[in-house]
Amino acid sequence: MKTAVRFGMVVLGVLAVVGLMVPSAALAAKEIKIGVIYPLTGGAAAAGRELRAGAELAAKIANNVMTDISMDMAKNSGIKNMGGAKIKLIFKDHQGNPTIGADLAKKLILDDKVDGILGCYHSSVTKTVSAVCEQYGVPMINGTSTSPALTKRGLKWFWRTTPHDKWFTKDLFELLKGLTEGKVRGVKAVPKKEIINLASACEKTEWGSHVSDIIKSLAKEYGFKLKKSLLYASKSPDLSSEVRSLKAVRPDAMLFASYTSDAILMVKTLKAQKAAPKIIWGQDAGFEKPEFRSTLRDSIVGILTRTVFLPKVAQIKKVAGQVNTLYKKNTGNDLGGASARAFTGLQTWVHVLEKAGSTKPADIQKAANALKIPGKELVVPWAGIQFAASGDEIGQNVLGSGLIGQYQKDKDGNLVLEIIYPFDVATADMIFPFSF
Amino acid sequence: MDILISSLFAGLLIGMVLALVALGLNIIFGVMEIVNFAHGEFLMVGMYTGLFTAQATGMEPLLTLPVAAVVGFLLGIICYYGFIKFLIRGPMVAQLLGTFGLMLFLRNIALLIFGSEDRALHHGILVDKSFDMGMGVIVPATKLTAAGLSVVAFGAVWLLMNRTKIGKALTATALNAQGARYMGIPTERMNALAWGIGGGSVTIAGALIVNFWSVNPFMGLLFTMIAFAIVALGGFGSVPGAFFAGLVVGLITEIPGIWDFFTYTFNFDWMNNVPMTSLKYMWVYLAYFVIVVVRPRGLFGWKQ
Repeated sequence: MKTAVRFGMVVLGVLAVVGLMVPSAALAAKEIKIGVIYPLTGGAAAAGRELRAGAELAAKIANNVMTDISMDMAKNSGIKNMGGAKIKLIFKDHQGNPTIGADLAKKLILDDKVDGILGCYHSSVTKTVSAVCEQYGVPMINGTSTSPALTKRGLKWFWRTTPHDKWFTKDLFELLKGLTEGKVRGVKAVPKKEIINLASACEKTEWGSHVSDIIKSLAKEYGFKLKKSLLYASKSPDLSSEVRSLKAVRPDAMLFASYTSDAILMVKTLKAQKAAPKIIWGQDAGFEKPEFRSTLRDSIVGILTRTVFLPKVAQIKKVAGQVNTLYKKNTGNDLGGASARAFTGLQTWVHVLEKAGSTKPADIQKAANALKIPGKELVVPWAGIQFAASGDEIGQNVLGSGLIGQYQKDKDGNLVLEIIYPFDVATADMIFPFSF
Repeated sequence: MDILISSLFAGLLIGMVLALVALGLNIIFGVMEIVNFAHGEFLMVGMYTGLFTAQATGMEPLLTLPVAAVVGFLLGIICYYGFIKFLIRGPMVAQLLGTFGLMLFLRNIALLIFGSEDRALHHGILVDKSFDMGMGVIVPATKLTAAGLSVVAFGAVWLLMNRTKIGKALTATALNAQGARYMGIPTERMNALAWGIGGGSVTIAGALIVNFWSVNPFMGLLFTMIAFAIVALGGFGSVPGAFFAGLVVGLITEIPGIWDFFTYTFNFDWMNNVPMTSLKYMWVYLAYFVIVVVRPRGLFGWKQ
């Protein structure tokens, strides 16, 4: 009898332990794995560090309650609709190489079993990675690649938050048009004939080639003369012949699409060759990186760059200021175009997951297509995030917009980017004409 | 006309520097018949040496040339005694793969120590200065000086090879190592010396180049390829050949500027649409290909 009682007690004990364990395991918050593919080494490593810091900060805010940040994802610890599931980022380094990027995407999907992908900065890499995601039916959100072609492929598992180069380049031509109409702060109307001749030099990967084509088509549309349009080999050790070629047509404005090392070399060569355009405009990327500023210092005063975020935005948008403070505390730098968009990319993932309430690809797809994030939630100065679900740009955020900044010196002698365009949010008079 | 003159001038200047880059490769091949795939990485070492010596000491970047020369010389000697000496006993394939491995080793060591960022010099009396030579020719002071010093370095190596006993011993080793050994020439030491001189000359070129180009651990391969083209064009083992071929390759890299001249002179729209700048280095490799097919010993190479 005693044996039977003991046996019964042991069985009850085991059941009690199992009974206690099972519900807790069932309730344990699931971890959501997002594979993040960025250029962490190679020529764009500096940008990669920024991108990583931006995504990590967004994950930190999403995974913790932060009452001092005025955004929805800071109010909860993890994904509320998934029992507080935490976001786990798995970083991979594509080195700026599309083939490596595609291999990494396969590894993340097959080995790490990620629930989704974020990346990849270089449009060429985003192109191959998104093709892999499409093949395996894994959702991918892209926050920083701006080649227009990426959202013209009709992909079902790819969404892009950032505006693309056509929008950004159109901003430039609007600025040039504004110059002729006297709309630019601090500059009297400039006769069109004084800024009519343009010359462009773009690096010849996916991104630069497309920017070059867009410049050609918009120059025609806006009635400017593109006297020279050239593509150059990225990471070239010498750009002297390119600069001489640009100079030969005596352009009023020089337009560039360059990654960091090329942008630095280009400006140094322009200065050494005593080039004298009235306007130098960079299509973001290298022209906005901290290294561009720290390397060239005062010689870039007056250079324009398109961007989606400037520290000045933090002054006019409360939530941007709050996030910028945290970012600066972590990295020592202000948020830039890359980091702010990487932050926004992951923030979009958080909103999509909240809306989907699951990690099933079909639920995520449905949630992304129906997503609407209001502008007040974002650090970037956009009207919000809403993806086109039909038309010829499926997956493209239709509420994004760009900025054009100009390097100027503040009253303390520090180099800052002032907002020049859009005209209604300009923070300083434009320096025109430019001179080294 | 401005663009034609300035392109030709720029091509000649950069050609002088590229010739010095190729000289080391030429000497090593000439003496030992080993193709050094790590040659561009030696150049990178020279660039980092010039950069960090100038930054750490605050000295004028051009004064770092002796430091770069010593570092390059020692690097060459160490590579020879620690690695190449054993490699030359093996088949040709082992030698090729061995120097390829040395290239990867040096590149990754640099990546580990310096990171992947581009680094550039920002101080020095010549940095950011240009000379307006008239006729539309604007020459950066750093490039002009680098070209001048390259010619001096070239002259010094030529004198060493042609007017000293050591140079004659090196030439003898290059022509017939066994015969040289019978004549009492320590050929092993001559081999090491070839690597030392080769390393020293290319690191000097690196310390000159860093005055106007930035450096990162990945930039070696492009220069190795250009150096191959120069050596093949000038002739393996020929010092004057390397100089002449350097000038030719410098001019070839300026083909886009020359093309622009004809475009604007004849005002042909179709010429404006040819992506010449995208194909800048293609012409160099095309010249390499043509010379290897048509005249394998190069313009000034020794007859076998």
